[in-house]
Amino acid sequence: MRDFEGEVIKNEHITKDFFIIEFRLQKPIYAIEPGQFVMVKIPDERVFLRRPFSIYDCNKNSLSIMYRIKGEGTHYLSKTPKGIKTQILGPLGKGFNINFEDHLKPVIIAGGIGIAGVHLLIKKIKKTPDIFYGCSDEKEVKLIEDLKAKHVYIATMDGSFGFKGDVISLFERHLKHYQSSICIYACGPEAMFKSLKEKIKPEIKCEVLLEERMACGMGLCFGCVKKTLDEKEPYKRVCKEGPVFDIWQISL
Amino acid sequence: MADLTVELFGKTLKNPVMNASGTMGYGVEMEPLWDIKNMGAYVTKGLSLKPHHGNPPPRIWEERHGMINSIGLHNIGIDAFFNNFMPFFEKKELPVIINFFGFSEEEYIECARQIKPHRLIVCLEANLSCPNIKAGGISFGKEPENVYRLVKKIKSVTEIPVIAKLTPEVKNISDIAMAAYDAGADGLTLINTIPGIYVDIDNKNIPIKGGLSGPFLKPIALKAIKECSERVPIPIIGVGGIMDWKDAVAFFMAGARAVQVGTATFVDPFTIPKIIENIGEFINSKGYSSIKDIIGVVNT
Repeated sequence: MRDFEGEVIKNEHITKDFFIIEFRLQKPIYAIEPGQFVMVKIPDERVFLRRPFSIYDCNKNSLSIMYRIKGEGTHYLSKTPKGIKTQILGPLGKGFNINFEDHLKPVIIAGGIGIAGVHLLIKKIKKTPDIFYGCSDEKEVKLIEDLKAKHVYIATMDGSFGFKGDVISLFERHLKHYQSSICIYACGPEAMFKSLKEKIKPEIKCEVLLEERMACGMGLCFGCVKKTLDEKEPYKRVCKEGPVFDIWQISL
Repeated sequence: MADLTVELFGKTLKNPVMNASGTMGYGVEMEPLWDIKNMGAYVTKGLSLKPHHGNPPPRIWEERHGMINSIGLHNIGIDAFFNNFMPFFEKKELPVIINFFGFSEEEYIECARQIKPHRLIVCLEANLSCPNIKAGGISFGKEPENVYRLVKKIKSVTEIPVIAKLTPEVKNISDIAMAAYDAGADGLTLINTIPGIYVDIDNKNIPIKGGLSGPFLKPIALKAIKECSERVPIPIIGVGGIMDWKDAVAFFMAGARAVQVGTATFVDPFTIPKIIENIGEFINSKGYSSIKDIIGVVNT
């Protein structure tokens, strides 16, 4: 972990209110686990705290983030032109555990902007994964354009592309073929995790990447907790003990 | 080299800058970025007799130039703190201030009683902004007579110096400071966060009620420090809205012997080491020899 200076070299509109921003880092970044995140200082005086973003992609000297305009922070981030320098703290948190047993098939499930959290995982995972991607309409299918070469099952809520309905319903159709020989990595809205947890057997390994409002991003403030099933200390810090959690250990 | 050392209750701190309670986890979290032994002292997260789970999320919300927090005093309890984390501070030889609280007078007192004197413990910082459950949830720190009674009882059960951390949400903070002093408090920490709420206009609800922090606290804290230092002859630790070394210098000049930095650390995790370095440079550049030369020097 370190506080990098990053210069915006690209801030590209993808579709609807989705963007990819890329920073050139002043110093090289190493040892990133897929699923880890960074805290970005939004280069606008009106935004006070840094904002957490999953690392979408990364090389030694550059790092990119896929984001959706949701509030003021991402609004001003989308207005940031090339050449602006800002501070990027990371890599932060605990990423996905990709050392799974050989006989398991990795299955990656992403909902909407959740693709930003698993993109690096898709790139780095050694065994070819099956990917399930769900979004609201065909415009959002653009978010996975670079994954065309991979095996991706797509669901849209309005049926304008692929399966009509939510991504978990689509995944459920394939579930019986897999039996229990899969391990799942998922990122998306909480309702998606909830539905996923109901559909799979408890012996299936499943890790989920959670999102929460954060202040520090490094475990200092205890502001970003998620309730787990640990009775002794139920609230775990998403930034420190997470953002990746075992689906069987969190309260949904 | 500027002399940044300050005396606090018979202990010499290498500089007068520390973290505000609850803004640096259990201390260990900062390890990857910088060595916290460079601070004057580490202030613990608010500790209680028994562990507390804290509040459900959301616990934080951004406000323009600041934030509201509602962590709910989430902590592992004093026993676990001493077992799990005190060795870390011993290894660093870093002085520690134990911030503690209770939801009843008995809890405060039992907690203070159970904390044994330790060569690194500078003092106990009693968070008096806690709601008194038995008295209908009114904060202990709101009425001078409650402060007097509670501080007196805490003092009677411990040999460790006790400082009272006060809420600014009172009629007259120097009356509260006076009550704490009369009860035997060895020092004061001024000020705690200010209660506030966030109104979400899209959802027409209040997602968070909690303590407001950020740079707008600075003038309120400075006023409290100035007023209290004129009436009460015990050391004051200043906290509230310090974002950089200039803010810190203002706190010293208003009468603070040491300062705590909280929310600024979230914006820039290096705020504290930067402040330490820069106040040294300020003292040198102005021809002072020691930080003590600027404490309480502001003209009225």
